[in-house]
Amino acid sequence: MFKKSIIAAVLVLFTLGTVAVAFAGEGPGGNKRKGKYTYRKLVKACFERGAVESASPKVSPADKKQAEWKAIFEGKEFSAFGCDEEWANASDKDVLDIYSYFYSFAADSPTPATCK
Amino acid sequence: MGKKTAGICLALILGFGLCMGIVNTGTAATATETSEEALGIKLAKQAVKADKHWTTTDHSKIEALNQNFTSGSQITQACLSCHTDASMQFEKTIHWTWKVESEKPGIMNGKAGHAVNNFCISGNAMEDKGCLSCHVGWNGTKEEVNCLNCHGGEKYNYKEAFGDIQAFAGDEDPETQEIVTELQNEIKTAVKNITMPQRNHCGECHFKGGGGDGVKHGDLDTSMAKPNKMLDVHMAAEGADFTCTRCHTTVKHNIAGRLYTRPASAERKSLIQDDMATKITCESCHGTLPHKKADSKMNDHVDKVACQSCHIPEFARVNPTKMWWDWTKAGDLKDGKPYVVKGEFGKPTYKSIKGEFKWKKNVKPEYFWYNGSFSNIGIKDKIDPAQIVEVSHPLGEKSAPDARIHPFKIHRGKQPYDKINNQLVAPILSGPKGFWTTFDMDDAITRGNKALDVPYSGEFDYVETTYAFPITHMVAPAQNAVNCTECHIRDNSRLANITGIYMPGRDKNNFIDSIGMIAVLGAFGGVMLHGLGRFFTRNPKEE
Repeated sequence: MFKKSIIAAVLVLFTLGTVAVAFAGEGPGGNKRKGKYTYRKLVKACFERGAVESASPKVSPADKKQAEWKAIFEGKEFSAFGCDEEWANASDKDVLDIYSYFYSFAADSPTPATCK
Repeated sequence: MGKKTAGICLALILGFGLCMGIVNTGTAATATETSEEALGIKLAKQAVKADKHWTTTDHSKIEALNQNFTSGSQITQACLSCHTDASMQFEKTIHWTWKVESEKPGIMNGKAGHAVNNFCISGNAMEDKGCLSCHVGWNGTKEEVNCLNCHGGEKYNYKEAFGDIQAFAGDEDPETQEIVTELQNEIKTAVKNITMPQRNHCGECHFKGGGGDGVKHGDLDTSMAKPNKMLDVHMAAEGADFTCTRCHTTVKHNIAGRLYTRPASAERKSLIQDDMATKITCESCHGTLPHKKADSKMNDHVDKVACQSCHIPEFARVNPTKMWWDWTKAGDLKDGKPYVVKGEFGKPTYKSIKGEFKWKKNVKPEYFWYNGSFSNIGIKDKIDPAQIVEVSHPLGEKSAPDARIHPFKIHRGKQPYDKINNQLVAPILSGPKGFWTTFDMDDAITRGNKALDVPYSGEFDYVETTYAFPITHMVAPAQNAVNCTECHIRDNSRLANITGIYMPGRDKNNFIDSIGMIAVLGAFGGVMLHGLGRFFTRNPKEE
């Protein structure tokens, strides 16, 4: 009985650990690939409005670490991007996708973003 | 008395004139030649005048390019539907193979061959994937030639776009479909924007050889993408505005100008003789009397001194270049992690993955006799580790008719060698088993040498090495050329290491100096005596 309990406990811990690692690795849970293009589209709209100098995004995911992006996106503090109007109009889903993109390619991620 | 004085003055003037005549006899004879511009220069200017990008084909009208591409290979196939032999030609060139037969049996030169250098050392027969970002294929060596690497008029990240299109496949979300449509339109626009190779195409690899801007060549870095006339008279927009291919002419995608084994100076063809000469020299355009005044003393130098020796006074004049790379220092970690130290010029002076570096700007070249060929130490050659190993060094002797004194960048460093076999080794660097990940040099050498099928004893040490690069770009305006007295001077002459010849001003030989002085004084004395004799023996009655 004791032996069975030990095995069951180990299995439960293993399962919990695996699930935790899997979820931790996925980050915010949006579509990071789509987020990249949504972000570019947002900056392009901002450029066409004349609020930024270039249609190419100047802020890259590799500019900050994952924890820093987490603080920015969860706090909805987008002033560093310089496109307040576009960020305010972006849907929650779009912001989540962009967050996933920045989180997945942050400086301390396994695959930091390089310039396009 | 007045007449006597006048006579003495006349004698002095005559004597001085005679002396000057003796000194200048070598050049005066050719003074009648004109300073008209050489035909080669006229042709070169004609080639780069006004509308440079003329073409008989509007690629935006080519139906084969008007499709929704989903891979690089599809683009190449579209190119080949008209340019049928292009990739077949290209795949035979060293730009694709990265290796070429050497004069040694069974030994291949080039990154994918047996050649080594004292930067990242070897391409490990293309097993080191870190090098392959500069290979002109869609996916390293695995897929077809990427024609747009050299002919794409727009810099576009095709790899990313194709990866995303594939990842979005099957996603019916309208927003996703909109993204895919935009990507495909972007690709189509980029594919139709075709051009002849421009500086940015060549520079993407050649400005950044060795792993970064200005690392390898002292005379090629990103400052040459848009140089001003002070940096390069040939490539400056306000100068001749040459692209690379103006001099590096091409036959069947073989690009001229490579310096490895074949002597360059022996041919010395001009563009008038052959616009597709395989080796380009300054004389191709400037002729063998390049200085406008045909009686210029400088024209007497061209048979022994390369034009570059005087006209490229310093290299790395805008961006710094790497001059020292010490692999013995590589592998140091902080808190178990690799780190980087940056120094002067904002360039790294230490990297855990690579070792210690030294960078310099405005570097005076080193000068050697050079016939256009190099001696190379490859992975299979024996070395003497007690000596500094010249991994690449110019060939040429003072007595050879095709050799000239030429400027070089000498990159120095320390790199690993096999202690038992006395051979340089080729550690593999990138990838999960490479030194940049494992920091295990012994294991990296074992794997790297295995890729090249070269035995490794299992024991290594480090040896100091040099690697020479000819300096031939960054040609300065004429007024900034090296002054005569920088070479013809007793101390600190630029040509101090060019020995075995007599160089006026630099060298001293008491016997020759005495003969010269006797000749000058003798001529002066003779004229004086002659003048005085005429003066005192004149017949007053004749006046």
